[in-house]
Amino acid sequence: MQVALIEWAFGFLLATLGLFVPIVLIASLGGKTRRLAIALIVGSNVVGCIVAVLCFWRETTVHLDFSAFSPFPLALGVDRLSAFFLLLICSVAVPVAIFSIEYFDLHYVEKRRNWVWTFFSLFLASMILVVTASTGFAFLVGWELMTLLTAGLILMEGDSTERRHSVFLYLLMMHAGAAAVIGSFLLFLPFSHGLDFASLRSAGRVMPQGIRTMVFLLAFLGFGTKAGIIPLHIWLPRAHPIAPSPVSALMSGVMLKTAVYGIVRFVFDFLGGGPSWFGYVVLFAGAASGLLGVLYAIAEHDLKRLLAYHSVENIGIIYLGLGASLLFLAAHSLVWASLALIAALLHTFNHALFKSLLFLGAGAISNATHTVDLEELGGLQRRMPVTGITFLIACYSIVGLPLSNGFVSEWLVFRSFLGGSLLTNTNARIVLPLMVGVLAMIGGLAAACFVKVFGVAFLGRPHSAEAEHAVEVPALMRGGMIILAAACVFIGILPGILLRPLASLAQVLIPGAGVPQETLSITRVIPWFAAIIFVVTIAVTLVKRRERMERTWACGLPGLTSRMQYTSTVFSKPIRFVFSMVYRPDRTVERLPADQPYFPASITYRSVRTTSYEKAIYRPFVELFLSAARQLRRLQTGNIQVYLLYIFLALVLLLAFLRFQK
Amino acid sequence: MKIALNILQAVLIILGAPLVRGIVARCKAFLQRRQGASIWRPYSDLAKLFRKEDLVPPTASAVFRVVPFILFATTICAVAFIPLLQPAALLASRGDFFLFVYLLAMGRFFLSLGAFDGGSAFGGMGASREALISCLAEAPFLLSFVAIAILASHADIAGMVNWTLQQNFFNVSAVHILAFTSLGMVVIAETGRMPVDNPTTHLELTMIHEAMILEYSGTRLALIEWASAIKLHAMMALLVALFFPWGMASGESIGFIALSLPLYCAKIGLLIILLAVIESGMAKLRMYLVPDFLGVASAVSVLAVIFTFLAKR
Repeated sequence: MQVALIEWAFGFLLATLGLFVPIVLIASLGGKTRRLAIALIVGSNVVGCIVAVLCFWRETTVHLDFSAFSPFPLALGVDRLSAFFLLLICSVAVPVAIFSIEYFDLHYVEKRRNWVWTFFSLFLASMILVVTASTGFAFLVGWELMTLLTAGLILMEGDSTERRHSVFLYLLMMHAGAAAVIGSFLLFLPFSHGLDFASLRSAGRVMPQGIRTMVFLLAFLGFGTKAGIIPLHIWLPRAHPIAPSPVSALMSGVMLKTAVYGIVRFVFDFLGGGPSWFGYVVLFAGAASGLLGVLYAIAEHDLKRLLAYHSVENIGIIYLGLGASLLFLAAHSLVWASLALIAALLHTFNHALFKSLLFLGAGAISNATHTVDLEELGGLQRRMPVTGITFLIACYSIVGLPLSNGFVSEWLVFRSFLGGSLLTNTNARIVLPLMVGVLAMIGGLAAACFVKVFGVAFLGRPHSAEAEHAVEVPALMRGGMIILAAACVFIGILPGILLRPLASLAQVLIPGAGVPQETLSITRVIPWFAAIIFVVTIAVTLVKRRERMERTWACGLPGLTSRMQYTSTVFSKPIRFVFSMVYRPDRTVERLPADQPYFPASITYRSVRTTSYEKAIYRPFVELFLSAARQLRRLQTGNIQVYLLYIFLALVLLLAFLRFQK
Repeated sequence: MKIALNILQAVLIILGAPLVRGIVARCKAFLQRRQGASIWRPYSDLAKLFRKEDLVPPTASAVFRVVPFILFATTICAVAFIPLLQPAALLASRGDFFLFVYLLAMGRFFLSLGAFDGGSAFGGMGASREALISCLAEAPFLLSFVAIAILASHADIAGMVNWTLQQNFFNVSAVHILAFTSLGMVVIAETGRMPVDNPTTHLELTMIHEAMILEYSGTRLALIEWASAIKLHAMMALLVALFFPWGMASGESIGFIALSLPLYCAKIGLLIILLAVIESGMAKLRMYLVPDFLGVASAVSVLAVIFTFLAKR
C-alpha cells in the first residue's frame, strides 16, 4: 500500500516536470498559467524530496516499467543510491526554482519567460531520469536530454558568436563523453542478457578482467568529461558562466553530480571495485583536478568563471574520496572503503548545496550591479546584507571550515587518508597519508580564493558606481538563498542526519562493510563545538565597549579612494607569482612612445594565461579530425553526375548486402 | 577532578599567554643588548586597550565588527586541544588534529575578511600575504601531525602525547626529529614570527599580520592581540607536548601535578630562549623567499611521513 503510494508520487514528479508543466507553459503564454506551472515545479520537487527521503532512509525500492509504451526497455527504479541523488536534485531544485521566479521575470521579456521555464522543468526531469533510470536506454536518453536542454538554456541568454562557440565546444565534449559512456554500456552486452541494471550488475562480476578494465576506462573518460576532471574540463569554465545564474547553479550544483552518480554506479555497483590501479587513476585525477582547479580559480576575477573552476576543484575532492575508497576496496579493507565512499558522497551533496548557493549569489549580484566582474564590485555587504550573509556562509562552507557542511565531508576524506596508513603490503599506505598534504593545500588555496571573493566583492568600498548604488534583491530571491544557507549550516552542525543513511548506502555498495566508527564520532563532536564557539562568541561580545566612527587613516592624504584598495588581481598576485609554473602567463608590456623609455606617455600591460598543456593534449585530435575532413572533402566534387554515381553504387552495395545476408 | 585540571590547563594557556610574549621580548632585548620592557608589559598593554574606545571606519560592515570576537572564540576553542600538565585536555580526546588545524584556519579566514573591511590598501595587502603563507603552511602543518599520528596509531592529540610519553627519550626515531623541524617552521610561519613576519614592525613593505589589524582599536584590538598571544603560547605548548612530554603528570595525584607545572615552565622557557635566539639571529626573509622556507618545511614533513613506514618495520 505504502510502496504503491510512493510509486504514484514518483510518477507524479516525473509526469509533472516532463509533461504537464511544459504542456501548460507552451499551450498558453500568459502570466497566470505560468504561476500555476511554477507552483507545480516547486510542489512536485517537494514531493520528490519526500519520495527520496522515504526511499533513502527506509530502504523502500520503487520500480516503474514503461517498456510497454516505448520501442526499447525503459524502466525507472529508485534504490538507495538513486534515492540519494534524487534527494540531491530535488532539494536543490526547490530553492533554485523559488529564486528563479523573480530572477527570470527581471531578466527576460514576457514572451521568453514561458520557454525558459519549460526548459528549466524539462532539464530537471532529464536529470531525475538519469539518476533513477534502471535500464541503459533510459539512462542514455536522460543523459542526452540533459546536455541538449542546457545548451538550449545557454543559447536562450543570447547568441553571440563567442557564445555559440562555447556551446559548440560544450556539445562536442559532451558527445565525446556520451560516446564513451555508450561504449562502456555496450561492452557489457556479450555477458549480459540486456541493458537493465540488474543483469549488468550480475554480468559485471563475471566478466573477464580485460573487459572490466575497458568498461572502467570508458566510464572514467565518459563521466570524467561530464564531471570536468582536468584535462577534460575545458568546456566547463566556458559553458557554466554564460548560462543564466539559476541554470548555472543547477549545472554546477546538480548536473555535474550525475557524473559522480554514473561513476559510482559503474565502478562500485556494476564492477564492484577492481585492481588497485583503478583507485590510483581516480585518486590522481582527483588530486590534479583539485589543485589545478583551485589555482585557476584564484587567477580569475570573473565571479562566475571563478566558481566554475571551483566546481572542478570540488569534483577533484570527490574523486579523491572515491579513489581512496577504490584503493581500500582493492586491499580488502572494507570499513575504510565505506568511510571514503561516504566522504565522497557527502561532499557531493554538500557541494550541490553551497555551489548552487554561490551561483545564486552571483545571480543576485549581477541583478543588483549588472556585472559579475569582481573588480567592479565592493562594499556590497552594507548594501545587500542578506545576500552578503548567505554568500558568506557559502564561501565558508566551500572552504571547509569547522561548523560548515564542507568541513564534515573534508574531515571524513582526511580521516580515510589517515586510515590508509593501516593497510599492509601496498604502496597505498604511503600514498594515501601523503594525500593529506594535497588536500590540505587545496583547502588552503580555496580559503585564499574565497577571502578574495568575499573581501573584494562585499567588503571595503565600492569599486564602481554600479556597486555603490546596489540595492538588495527581492524577497523570493533572498528566500531561495536563505533556504540553501540554512541547509549548509544545519548539515554542518548535525551531520548525523545524513551520515547514518549514507552508511547504510555504503553497506549496499560495499557488501560486508561495517558502519565506520568515524562517521559516528564526528556526529558527537561537532555539536559540542558549535555550542562552545557560540557561547564564547556571545560572552565576548557582551564585553563592555564604546564605539566611535572614524575615517580610515590615509597616511596623511586627504582621503582614501576606492582605487587605493586591493583588487582581486592584486590579491592573487603573490600566489600567481609563486605558482607561475602552472599559469605560464604570457606578458606584454608596451611603452609609448618607444623612443622615450623613461618618460612614457602611456604604458600598456597585458597578462594572458596560456594553457599550454591543453593545447598539447587536444591539438593532435583536432589535427587528426581536420586532416580526415580534408580527405573526405575529395568526395564532394560538386559534379551532379558523380553524386548520381554515389547513389547508384550505394544501391548496388545495399542489394549485394541483402543478397549475401540470406 | 579531571575536568577541573583540564580547565586549569586551558586557563593557564590563556592567562599565561601575554607573559610568554613578554618574556620573548625581554630575551630578545637581552640578546640585542637593550634594556627591554618589563615581562609584565603585555598585560598592561591589554588592560589599556580594553579601557579605550573602539574606532570603526565608516566603510565597515558587520563583518568588521564581529571578526575579533570570532577570532577570540576559535582561539580559545583551539586551546582546549592542548595538553599541558597531563596527557589530556578538554577536547583533546574528542576531536583530532584536523579539527585543531582547521579551527586556527577558521580564525585566520575571518581575520583576513576583517582586514578587507577597512577599505584601505593595507588590509588587503596583509590579507593577500597571509593567504599565500597560510596556503603553503597548511600541508606541512597537517603532514607533520600525520607522521606522529601514524606512529602513535592515534589521531587525537591526547593519544599522540600519551604514546610519546611511553617511549624512551633516547630512543626517539628520525620521524620525531623531522616532524619537530617541520612543525617548528610551521609554528614560526603561523604565529607570524621572524624570519617570516616581523611582529614589531609597522613598515608597509614588510608587515603581514600587523597590516591586517591596522584598522582595529580599543577592545577589538585587545581581543586580537590577546588571541595572537594565546596562539603563540598554544603552539609552543603543542610543540612541548608532542615532542617533549616527559614530566607530564601521568596520575591524578596532587604531587605529580604540582611537579609537572615547574617542569612545563622550564620546557617552555627553553623554547622561548630558542625562539628569541632565532628571531635575533635571523633577518626577515624577503616575501618571495617565504615559499622556499615553507617548501623546506613541506619536504621535511613528507620525509617524516615516508619515514614512518621505515620505522615500523
